[in-house]
Order: sequence, then C-alpha cells, then structure tokens
Amino acid sequence: MKSAPRQHSLKPLAWGIFPSAVSSALKDLPVFLAAFSVFYAFIAVARYWSTPFTAEAQISLRPSVLPMYAMFSVMRIAISYVIALLFSIAYGYVAAYNRRAEKLMIPLLDTLQSIPVLSFLPGVMLAMVALFPKHQLGIELGSILLIFSGQAWNIAFSFYSSLKSIPKEMHEVAEVYRWNRWQKLMQIELPSAAIGLVWNSMISVAAAWFYLIACEMFTLGKQDFRLPGLGSYLQTAANAADTRAIIWGLAVMIGVIVVMDQLIWRPVIAWAEKFKLEQTESSQVVRSPILELLKSSRILPYIERRFIDPAKERLAAHGATTARPPEANGQRPIARAINYLLAAATLAALAWGVVKMGGLALAVHGSDLRAIFVGGGATFLRVEVTLLIATVWTVPAGVLIGMNARLAAVVQPIVQVVASVPATALFPIIILLLTRVGGGLAVGSIVLMLLGTQWYILFNVIAGAMALPTDLREACDVFRFGRWERWRELILPGIFPYLITGCVTASGGAWNASILAEYFHLNGQTFSTTGLGALISEAAERGNYSVLLVSTMLMAIIVLTVNRLLWRRLYGVASTRFKLET
Amino acid sequence: MNEYASQLQELAAQGRLDAAVGLVERLSPTEAATAILALPFEQQRLLFLQLPTNVSAALIPCFPYFHAYVLLQALKVPEMAATMECIHPADRDLFLDALPEETWQNLMDTLERARLQGALPETATEAAADQVPPSAPSAVAQPIITACQIEKSYQQPEGREIQVVAPLDLSVEPNTIMAVLGPSGSGKSTVLRMLAGLLPPTKGEILWHGEPLRGSHPNVAIVFQSFALFPWLTVLDNVEAPLLARGVARKERYRKALKALATVGLKGFESAYPKELSGGMKQRVGFARALAVEPEVLFMDEPFSALDVLTAENLRRDLLDLWSEKKISTRSIFLVTHNIEEAVLLADRVVVLGSNPAKVRADFRIPLAQPRDRKSAAFLVYVDYIYKVMTQPSLELVPPCPTPAESKPKWQRLPHTRPGSIAGLLELLIDHGGEEDMYHVAEQLLLETDDLLPIIEGGVLLDFATAHEGDVKVTPDGRNFAEADIVTRKTLFRDAVLGHAELIRKMKSALESKSDHMMPLELFHDVLDEHFTEDEVLKQLDTALNWGRYAEIFNYDPETDNVSLHKTDHLETQDAAPRE
Repeated sequence: MKSAPRQHSLKPLAWGIFPSAVSSALKDLPVFLAAFSVFYAFIAVARYWSTPFTAEAQISLRPSVLPMYAMFSVMRIAISYVIALLFSIAYGYVAAYNRRAEKLMIPLLDTLQSIPVLSFLPGVMLAMVALFPKHQLGIELGSILLIFSGQAWNIAFSFYSSLKSIPKEMHEVAEVYRWNRWQKLMQIELPSAAIGLVWNSMISVAAAWFYLIACEMFTLGKQDFRLPGLGSYLQTAANAADTRAIIWGLAVMIGVIVVMDQLIWRPVIAWAEKFKLEQTESSQVVRSPILELLKSSRILPYIERRFIDPAKERLAAHGATTARPPEANGQRPIARAINYLLAAATLAALAWGVVKMGGLALAVHGSDLRAIFVGGGATFLRVEVTLLIATVWTVPAGVLIGMNARLAAVVQPIVQVVASVPATALFPIIILLLTRVGGGLAVGSIVLMLLGTQWYILFNVIAGAMALPTDLREACDVFRFGRWERWRELILPGIFPYLITGCVTASGGAWNASILAEYFHLNGQTFSTTGLGALISEAAERGNYSVLLVSTMLMAIIVLTVNRLLWRRLYGVASTRFKLET
Repeated sequence: MNEYASQLQELAAQGRLDAAVGLVERLSPTEAATAILALPFEQQRLLFLQLPTNVSAALIPCFPYFHAYVLLQALKVPEMAATMECIHPADRDLFLDALPEETWQNLMDTLERARLQGALPETATEAAADQVPPSAPSAVAQPIITACQIEKSYQQPEGREIQVVAPLDLSVEPNTIMAVLGPSGSGKSTVLRMLAGLLPPTKGEILWHGEPLRGSHPNVAIVFQSFALFPWLTVLDNVEAPLLARGVARKERYRKALKALATVGLKGFESAYPKELSGGMKQRVGFARALAVEPEVLFMDEPFSALDVLTAENLRRDLLDLWSEKKISTRSIFLVTHNIEEAVLLADRVVVLGSNPAKVRADFRIPLAQPRDRKSAAFLVYVDYIYKVMTQPSLELVPPCPTPAESKPKWQRLPHTRPGSIAGLLELLIDHGGEEDMYHVAEQLLLETDDLLPIIEGGVLLDFATAHEGDVKVTPDGRNFAEADIVTRKTLFRDAVLGHAELIRKMKSALESKSDHMMPLELFHDVLDEHFTEDEVLKQLDTALNWGRYAEIFNYDPETDNVSLHKTDHLETQDAAPRE
C-alpha cells in the first residue's frame, strides 16, 4: 500500500451508484467499525477482569449472552496469540543467530512441542489463583498462559527455520550495503518468514480454541475455575440437557470460526502472497474481497503517510548513525561476562527446580506408581486404537474424495470447518449422548478421542490424494493397473507423507483429549476409566501433587519416546523414499 | 617496477623516444622485454614503432606470444613482414605454432599479400581494427585494493583445515575492468568476497588505498548472479534500500534511486515488483542498486550467467557504454566469470585462477580497443590462450609464490562429467578429423568453460584424448571407444577407468578385500574428507559411483547406503585369482 498510483478495483455496481466521495467514505466505514469494535472489546474485557473473584461462576444459558461470551473467548485467544507471536519471534531470532543457544533451544522446542498442554491445566490454574486470589484476573491469566504454551512452539520453530533458509545472497546484500539490525529485521527476516508465520499462526489459533474451551469448562472438584465463554456455555447447556441452547451455542461457535477465517485469515493469506520467495507469478493465487476492500480505503494510506512513514524514517536514520562495523573479535568482554552470568543463573534455577521436583516425585507410594504405569499403558493403547480406527475409515474416504475433483471442491471446505471446530467444545454434547446410549467409558473415551481427531487425518489424506500427480495416474491407466496394484504402487505411497502428518497431529490431539475424556463429572455423577488422563484429573482434584507430577511426567515421556522412535522415523522415510519430486 | 622500466617510463613520458630506443638497445632482449611490459600499452606501442627491425625481431620472442601479436599489429604491414623475416627461425616457428588457426591464417595472408605487393605502401589490414586509439599516456596510478598473501581455509568439524585459497597477491587498479576466470569451485567467488570485505581472510592482509581496513566499510557494491532482489519490495524500494541503510533523507534517496534507474534504462518501472520483471530487467535493477551508492569499486559475481545469450549480450554492451562514456562514478570494475569470451570482450586485465586451492595461474592485460570484435584475429588469440592456461595445470605462467604450498600428496580429482558426455565429445572430434581447437568446440556445442572443461578433463584422464596448447585430439583408445557399440563401450570404459581413475581403483580393491564385498559409502566419504571440502567430496563420490555403475564395477543401494561389487566381478574374484 505504497504511494504509487493506486488501481481502483472494479467494484460491483452497488458502489457505482453513489457519488465518488460518498462511496470512498463508505469504503472507509468498515475500517472504522472494525477499529471501534476492537476498542470496545478491550474496554469490556478490562472491566470484567477487574471484577472480584466469584467462587462459583454464573454461566447464563440465554442465547442473548452468546455474543458477549463469544467476544470474551475471542479476546482470550487474541491476547495469548499476540504474546505467543512476540515470544516466538524473539526465541527464533536468538536460536537462529546464536550457535551455542541454538544447540539448546531447538531440542528444547522439540520437547516442549510434544508435551500435552492440558496435563498442566490443573497445576497452572491452581498456581494462578493462588497468585491473584481477589480478582477474575487470576483465572484469565491462567487460561492465557496455558493457551500461550500451546501456540508458541510451532510458530517459534517456523520462524527459526525461515531465518535459517534465507538465501545466502540476501545476507550478503545486507552486509555489503551495511544494513542495520532493524532494517534487516523489517526488510529481510520478517518478510521471508511471513508465509510460514501465517500458516503456523492459523494452526496455532486452531489449537488455541481447543485448549481455551477446555480451560473455560474447567472445574476441580469443589473449586470452579470456569470462565464465561463459549466453552462454558456449551458445557452448562449439556449439563442441563438444554437442546436449544446447545444448538445456539454450536451455531455461534461455528459462526465465529468461519467469520474469523473470512475476516482475518483469508485477507492475511492473500496479503502474504507477496512474500512468496518465487520469481514469477504463480497461477493459483488466493484472493480475498476483504483485502481488496482494505486496499481501496483511504484512511489506511493516510495514517501510513502521516504517522508511520516519518517514524520509519527516524528509525532508519538512527540506525544508520549507530551502525557499527562488524567486530572481528566477537563480543566485548563485558557482554561475554553478562552472558555467562545469565547462563549460570538459568542453570542454577533449573537445578533447583529439578531438585524440588525430584523430591515431590519421590513421595509417590509404590501402589500409586504401579497404577500410574498401568494407566500409561491403557491410555497408550487407547490412543493407538483411536488412530487405527480413524485411519481405517479416513484413508479410503479421503482418497475417494481427493481423487474426484468435483467432490473435493464441495467436501474440502466442509471438512475444513469441521476440523477447526475444537473437539473440546463437542465433548459435553457427546458425553450427554453417550450417557443416554449407555456403555462404559472405556469405549466412550475412544469415541470422544476419535470424534475430536479423525478430521485431521481425513483433511490430510484428501490433500495428499489431490496432490497425486496426473501423469502417474495416467501411467497406471496405460499399464492397466488393477485396483490393488494401484493402491499398493501409487496411492498408498503417494499419500504416505500426508498420512503421517495427519497421524502425528491426531496423536497429539488424542493425548490431550485423554485428560478430559477419561474422567469427568456430569450432573453430579463422576465417570472415569483406567488411564493416565484420569489419574491426572483425579490427582489434581484430590490435591495429590506428587501423583499429579509423576503422571504428567510419564505422559510427556511416552509422547516424546513415541515421537522419536516412531514418527520421526516415518517422517524420514516419507521425505526420502516417498517424496514425490516433480 | 625495476629501474630500467622506470627510466623507460620517464623517457617515454617526456617524449624522448630516441633516448628510450637507445636504452632498449643497450639492454639484453629479456631485460628489455620485461621493462617494456611494465609500461602502459600506449607507450609500448609508440616505442615499438620506433625500434629498428633487428631490435624488435630480437624482442618479439621474449614477450608472451599474444602480447607480441598485438604489438606486431601496431606496425605497418611492410615493417611487420620485415620483422617477421628477421626473427630467428626457431623462435618464429614457436610463435606461429602458438597462434590459433584463424589468427595464424590471417597473419599468413597478410604477409603473403605484403610479399606480392612488394614495397607498396600500407595496405589496410584487418589488424587496423585492433589498433589502440592514440590517447594521452596514462600515469600508472596506485591500486585501490591490494591483497597481500591472502589465504582462506575452512575448519572441518574434526579440526582439519581445508585450504580453499592458497596465499595469493592481487591488486585492483583504477580505470580498469578486471576479469577473474577459473573453473567452477576454484574459489573465485571466495576471492571476490574477501576483496569486497565480506569474508575475512584467514591469513594475509587487504589494504585499501594502502591502508588496512580497521573497522570501516569500504564503499563497494556487488551485483549477484541470482540478482538477489527482495521479492516483497518494489523496484524502487530495492534500489533505495542501501541508501536507506546509510541514513540518506527521503527526497535525496528518491532522487538518487530514480537517477540510477534511469541510467540502466528502467524508468517507469519503479512501482513494479521483481516478480513482474524478466531476468534481464531484474539484473538491471541489481545494477541500479549497485550504482545508486556510487561505489568506488563495483564487484560482479557472474552477473550474466543466469541470463539468456541475447539479454546477456545486451547488458554487456550497456555496461560498456556506461563505463566508457564515464556515466558512472565507479573507478574500477571487478568481474568474476566462467565465460572466457565474456572476459576477453569486457576486460582490460584478466586473471586466471587455478583450483584446489585457488592460486593465480595467469595475470595479463588485454590492450585491444573497444568495441571488440569476437571474430577478429587478436580476439581469438586471447581466447585460445586462456583455454591453454586453463587446461594445462602444470603450466606455471606466473612465478610460483614464495611460500610453498601444502606438501600433502595430491589426491587425484575426478572431473564431474558423465560417460555419455565424454563419448559425445569424442564423436564430435572424430567428425572433425580427430582434432580441434577448444574454443571451436565450445562455440559449436555452445558450452561454457564450466561445462566443457570437465568433459575434456574426463577424456584426458581416461586417455581417450589429449589436450595440448589449446587443442583437443582423440587418441586411438578414444577412437575405439567412440566408434564401439553400447556393450563394447562399457568394457572399454571399464578398462580405462580401472587403469586411470585412482579413486575407483581404490574403491574396488577395498571392496575386494572384504569377504561380503560390501561397504557403506560413508567410509569412502571419511577418506575423502581429508582432501576436499564437503561439497567436493559429495561430487567426487557421485561421479565415482556414476562411472562405476556405468562400467559395471559397482552396485549402489541408496536405501542402505552400501556400495558393493558388481555381481560378475564378485563371481570372478571367487573362482579366479585376484586381478591386479
């Protein structure tokens, strides 16, 4: 949106009716409204957060409160996302440019990504409420912190790998023409990371919904940590078996997600097209009417000219005068000393933490320990069974849909929407249905985990089937491959990488879901089954912190081990042997 | 410059040519030749014109043959004929043999005409086109950049050092377009980056105007092979970026950027994105960006390689126009290229680097006038000479550097080419009677040095061809190989490989010594690691496997990363006695 001669896009006739001054003002209207509503949202939330802490949250079931609840949920996601983004940029930047830090930070990232976030839900909530006993702020911060930790890692990793794959020559241009840090960040680093950041942000926000809903519904025995929002609305509706409220709640939930997709993600993706590191225009370009609208408004360029440009100039001038030539001898002694001190302090803190944790962990009784391991095995089996069932039906269905272009065009958006509805939102409803139908929780938990995670696999398999190259399919036709041969030689190997991606995501989701699926309360009744998730929830409720700690650790260890031993190997195979090179 | 050279320079500058001639006559031919070579070309020409025939005849064999040719062209035809007659027959034969065919033919024709026409006054020869236009003799100025014994080594993870650039001296002089040539991987890009201040040399020093760079940035610009434009910035933003970095104010920046764009002919494209531009236009943006900061030295790293032939030609001509009409304030241009014709077309001075590690193999001036004609005799002399230099590694044309190179035993380097390409080259040579000039081959196949030289090296290594003085010739073995059918070819190739390619021979004997005749490729990788950089090791292994598989010596399983002996070999070594 620079000051070059602007194209006036061909808008539909409706705009043409009004005189030009009015029509351009009308184009600015949405921008005004958007800015105003964001402002109002901030004020409303701030006001709510400073209300005193109520021991029992009042969740209304009237449909008219839904817009406000929706706004609360969205605000929580927005705030945690912004924090996650800033954190990830800083983290990725340090990891990419500091060799020594990189060796520690990237494996750490890997580990953190694999730990199921919801296993920390009880702990974090209890801690936060202890910190802020008087205000609602405590629980809100707890949920934001939890959601943040679910979002930050993959964005950080994406930023880090974008930085590492900047072509050497761009660095050399910056070096020869003496760019300062700020210019490098704004003109090289952020732009080349833009596409990765956008896509990973989308994934993170989808995950954030999942965790947010869980947080909003959270109760711990007698203590009620629920927050007014879409999640708690749905849970309350299910508890009261209020079908009408359930339908309203679901409708608003889906509506919010779809609206966010259209109003935020699509324009951002369309805008990020210009950061593609390709040298020619691609034929498939994402377009967004919202982006076109923003581009043709007059307010934004005006703001840019009056306020942003002069600030940029001043920054650039400042940067130029303070730019120092590259130090041949590395850091100065003071900087190095400070680094060592910080590293030492961090290590000391970590050591203290480990000692404390060790003490807590060792307080576990022998019988409890056995139960924990048994539970671990049970949940592990459950997760794998879920994956198996999901794969068995999604692969044929996905391939069928993906290889039929017309069907794919219709089904894919639907699956996308279904996949983005957080499973945790559906849990209370499914539980309600399950209690009506009967059957133990042993099977019911699998159903829960399935219904939450099979969409990831379906989604990926459809994408994989769509990506099968036409010439390979034609070769199968020409050489008269039978159905079995076609599947064995082309289809299964072709979709293999996508299937693995889907399975990894589904597996992570299933582990997270187990904490809610294996132990919950409904209308005063407690349902539970053998499993690690149940143990975690139960221990949190009873205040048995050592069991809580050890179970959480075990879950993290299992997930990490499976990641290393199974998924990583499969990824390796997928990227060498099964990679479809064009 | 030695004392005679400085004396000569003074005398010539003062216009006292008689005294200069007298001095030359007093010196021995070799001393005189060295002294004259140190002068600016214009003075050389003037001096040479004044020399009596017997003196010039004595001097000619002491100059490099290409330089001697250009000096001879400065004479009028009868004088040139007379000088040629006077030269000692053995020296004359050497000189004529060194010339490429067209040039030799041209020279013979001229002399023939001179003989026929007797003492008729000067006939316009083709050589007239190569005359250096008379201009005021330029004083030899101080070099802008001087590199003293710079060296570059990289640390391997195991602590070994791989030397990429051997200690070399280089200087960048003002008012010169300097081209650096070398095969790919010879470290010329590394040298460029060291001189531009991007890479610090491991040893040695780089001086700017005689002073070492202590923390300041030299005013240079680089034009890259891949353009290095930022796809998310408009053309104007791309050109303004370096100015922004220097804190230039907005209006000034805009003005300078527009001026640079106008200079390269891109006015009107300021708000375009690089995606919308063609390759040639993108490189023009690269030039505009470089020129906008008004650099003292303009570095170019293979700037025209990524462009098609016509666009590259266009840009070269535009660059020369800007340079000769002094429309840019740059004082010197440093061009790295692997295109020999491009170097001879553009450069006033050419440096040829050898590889592994990089060192200066040749450093000479090209005094021909611009615009240069690709087909002219003198042009071909230089192209042919450079081919000679690049294909004869043993030929040291610059005195070897004082510090001895690493005394490790040299590990034979496999040239990166395929058996099919070697066969194709041999077939082409046979079509031309078994022998051909290298630059002719390059012309016909439209290959650049990077692509042609490995093929020639491959053929020479396997004893299918010989390379001598810029010519390639097929050997009897090569003829057999080229004329055989598919199956026989494999056998012949196999024999040649086992006879000449060390790496493959070693791999084979290593495999034979194992009972299961199988080894992981990693082992060979580790052995090669000591001698080559990582990239080079991978390429060597790739070529060795390629040749080995074609010759049915090895099998390679990418899944297990194992190399194994080919089955027939396997069986043979089981029942027969081991072959040598």
